[in-house]
Amino acid sequence: MAEDTVKKLQKWVMVIDSTKCVQCHACTLACQNQNSLEPKEFFNRLEERESGTFPAYRRKIIPVQCQHCDEPPCVTVCPVGASYKRKDGVVMVNFETCIGCKYCILACPYSVRVVNEAEGYVHKCTFCIEFVEQGQKPACQTTCPMGVRTFGDLNDPNDPVHAILAAKRTVRLLAEMKTLPSIYYVMG
Amino acid sequence: MAITRRSFLKIAGGSALASATWQGFGCDIWKSAARRNPDIKVIPTQCQGCGANRCAVFAYVRNGRVWKIEGNPEANNNLGTVCPRGHGYIHELYDPHRIKQPLKRNESGGYEPISWEQAFSEISTQLNLIMMDNGPQSVFWLHYPMANAALGFRFMHSLGSPNIFSHGSTCFTARNAAFNATCGGLPGVDLKNSRYTIIVGRNPSGGIKLQQMKDLTYAKENGGKIVVVDPRHSETAIIADEWLPVKPGTDLALILAMLNVIIEEGLYDKDFVKKNTVGFDRLQDEIIAYPPEWAEKVCDIPKDTIYRVARELAANKPTALVHRGYHGGYGASYKNSFQTARAIAIINAVIGNYERKGGLYMPLRPELGELKEGGHPSPDIPQIPKADGSGIPGRYPAGSYSDGITHAIPELALSGELKAGIVYHSNPARTNPNPQRVIAGYKKLDLLVVIDCIMSETASMAHYVLPESFYLERDDNVDTVHSAKTGQLTMVQQVVKPLHDTKNLLEIISGLAQGVGIGRYFTFSLDDLNGYRLKPFGITLAELKEKGLISVGEPWKEGFRKAATPSGKIEIYSEKLDKWGVDPLPRWQEPLVTPDTADPHSFRLLHGKQALQTNSMTVHIPILMEASKRTDSVRLLMNRQRAAAIGLEDGDTVRLRSQIGSGNIRVRLTDGLHPSAVWLPSGFGIFSRHLTAVYGMGISYNDFCPTYFDPVVGHCMSSEIIVRVEKA
Repeated sequence: MAEDTVKKLQKWVMVIDSTKCVQCHACTLACQNQNSLEPKEFFNRLEERESGTFPAYRRKIIPVQCQHCDEPPCVTVCPVGASYKRKDGVVMVNFETCIGCKYCILACPYSVRVVNEAEGYVHKCTFCIEFVEQGQKPACQTTCPMGVRTFGDLNDPNDPVHAILAAKRTVRLLAEMKTLPSIYYVMG
Repeated sequence: MAITRRSFLKIAGGSALASATWQGFGCDIWKSAARRNPDIKVIPTQCQGCGANRCAVFAYVRNGRVWKIEGNPEANNNLGTVCPRGHGYIHELYDPHRIKQPLKRNESGGYEPISWEQAFSEISTQLNLIMMDNGPQSVFWLHYPMANAALGFRFMHSLGSPNIFSHGSTCFTARNAAFNATCGGLPGVDLKNSRYTIIVGRNPSGGIKLQQMKDLTYAKENGGKIVVVDPRHSETAIIADEWLPVKPGTDLALILAMLNVIIEEGLYDKDFVKKNTVGFDRLQDEIIAYPPEWAEKVCDIPKDTIYRVARELAANKPTALVHRGYHGGYGASYKNSFQTARAIAIINAVIGNYERKGGLYMPLRPELGELKEGGHPSPDIPQIPKADGSGIPGRYPAGSYSDGITHAIPELALSGELKAGIVYHSNPARTNPNPQRVIAGYKKLDLLVVIDCIMSETASMAHYVLPESFYLERDDNVDTVHSAKTGQLTMVQQVVKPLHDTKNLLEIISGLAQGVGIGRYFTFSLDDLNGYRLKPFGITLAELKEKGLISVGEPWKEGFRKAATPSGKIEIYSEKLDKWGVDPLPRWQEPLVTPDTADPHSFRLLHGKQALQTNSMTVHIPILMEASKRTDSVRLLMNRQRAAAIGLEDGDTVRLRSQIGSGNIRVRLTDGLHPSAVWLPSGFGIFSRHLTAVYGMGISYNDFCPTYFDPVVGHCMSSEIIVRVEKA
């Protein structure tokens, strides 16, 4: 039906360098506008981890959004097939088929799915895929003054994500859950 | 929002979202070509979500409705990015709180809509009567100075009044005056190329300066070091190599001790100091009084740290700097803020970084064309002293003409010197210290006119409220705010037609000017004005509107140029200050007030910005307020150990009391705060009853701040507040 189902050349991933994040929330707001979300709906959040006692105090900010897992529990549990994974790695929700049962919300270990109150369906980060397919980067990346996020194609050897993944040690959130996220974190 | 995500995706993103597993949508949504291909217009303009940065952005209009903004990558202030407030602020366009037509206060205190003609006629009649009895200087103009600032000056000068104010005395005037006295202007900071950056009190990640955030990231990635000096572990401290939790109000001691180390150990830039500064020898004589051994007892930073940081700063000279600051730390905070800023200007001079890569530099300011070149005469500058004593020896000698002392307005109204005021895009009732006093003063005015988009606390006291078109609905004056190492021109450009019966500032001022007999100074259109401004650059208004931003002139080059000081050099010792009876060299000065160390409930009240809110102007915007609520960030920060000593737990509600006010708020306990202080985010404490959704949200430090005027510039000393904190 659409071209992207035929090409299937990309494997979209994101590297999030949490050591650069200063908790400004520009990503959260840019995403809300990009996706025309209601004020209470949001697709990414910033988790704050404090450590140490005064004055040896530190804090770290970890941006969290849909991890676009390669083994997505949300897809497994969806009773109507509304949550699905594209061949380019992006996990999507079909708003038309979603019945709003919220099983996916329970199954997702990252708590990144929200319910649209007006219409009852569940939605979440799409990696801005409709804009990515027009050659753009996700809004959370382009708005960020700190360069926290780098979105790219793992199947393209020239993509800048390879340089970061090669140079820096990265982890994936809740790796023990074996969800195989497409988001890699530099934790510092 | 008028368009839901589901309906939008049907309209716009359907084809992109389609996949093999996409099932179940009917064919009907494809029937309309217009829905499949939404009408999207991209219009360059300038964000007004904070007023200070005025980031160049592209506004996206989808099917006639503003959808989002994106940053202009060429713009010096934002380099392609947009902050959360910028994203949030676009929603004010459609906010139900908007003022939709001119309003007149009635006898019962409510507001009635009136026509613009009636508003102009009644306001100018009242202004005429007031000026007839009291002279034109009894009228004041208060604005948050942005691209349109020159129009306010023109209006007031035409009337014959010098009483123009910015919000500066509650924000930055100590810093500005100190840099003016030292190097003849306010320099920029080359954070990008600095190898060693010390930031005192300033928090560009919370007060938001996107370019500086980006530059700090770049510097850090390239091996630069960042040291943050702040009683609170600021958002900038998160990415710093080192956080020095200085005791509030003692930054001056720390800088003096660093100067001591750099000078005593001969680590300064001898060549630069000799060629480009005056009075170094006098500083050398006095600085021996401030060794790190002394300072550590005053500022709570260990002497070894002071030695090390001072040596590291000097070792990286001249590609090293101490940030020139903004509000936090010494903009208008303490009795010693002016001298703190002086010490910071001086420490940059002794490491010789002025007009050098990685140091401080005077930002380029392209010279705009003027109206008089188009045959529109400039009004004379009134030869009457400013009522607040700004810039007047014997009163507030280092105060500036253009900023004045905004929080003196209530006092001057109570004394009868000021009788009428026009407040444009400013909200003194919420952003000035001691609101009860502010309200008493403004209520004493015979005439208060507020120009704004929403019913702020100040608008809620006005006799007349004139709605300005929202920034996405209007053009403003061509602006040079993005000029730094390159000159850049930008402007606010209309993105959509006004939704309500609103006007731009020039239309409002011109409407008033006719009735008060100064119409001859306002016989041009905004396009005329902008055309004159652009003329020296050979750029047409149409070109600027199309591109949104145009770079002009030669870029900045390294090399010290004559400073705008009496000596033409950087004045370490200032004869001018001496003449005014102000310390000509920075000398240690205690803060005005100190918490009672014997009382476990006694704290200094500090405040600062969070990235999500601007001053008092964004809290009513639901998308921003929801983010503040969601992150539970409308709380008072308190040091964990201090809290334990008085039996407080995280999330408890406490009652704060100062000598002038009290209020309740929940606490957040942290180890990231100096024990002597509590810290409150600014921007909250909304008490305009018109802002129904956020009325009573949080509290403001202003509710606790007495009315003070520092003796040098008359700033408000907004961190000289002692509060008692008890479980509510």
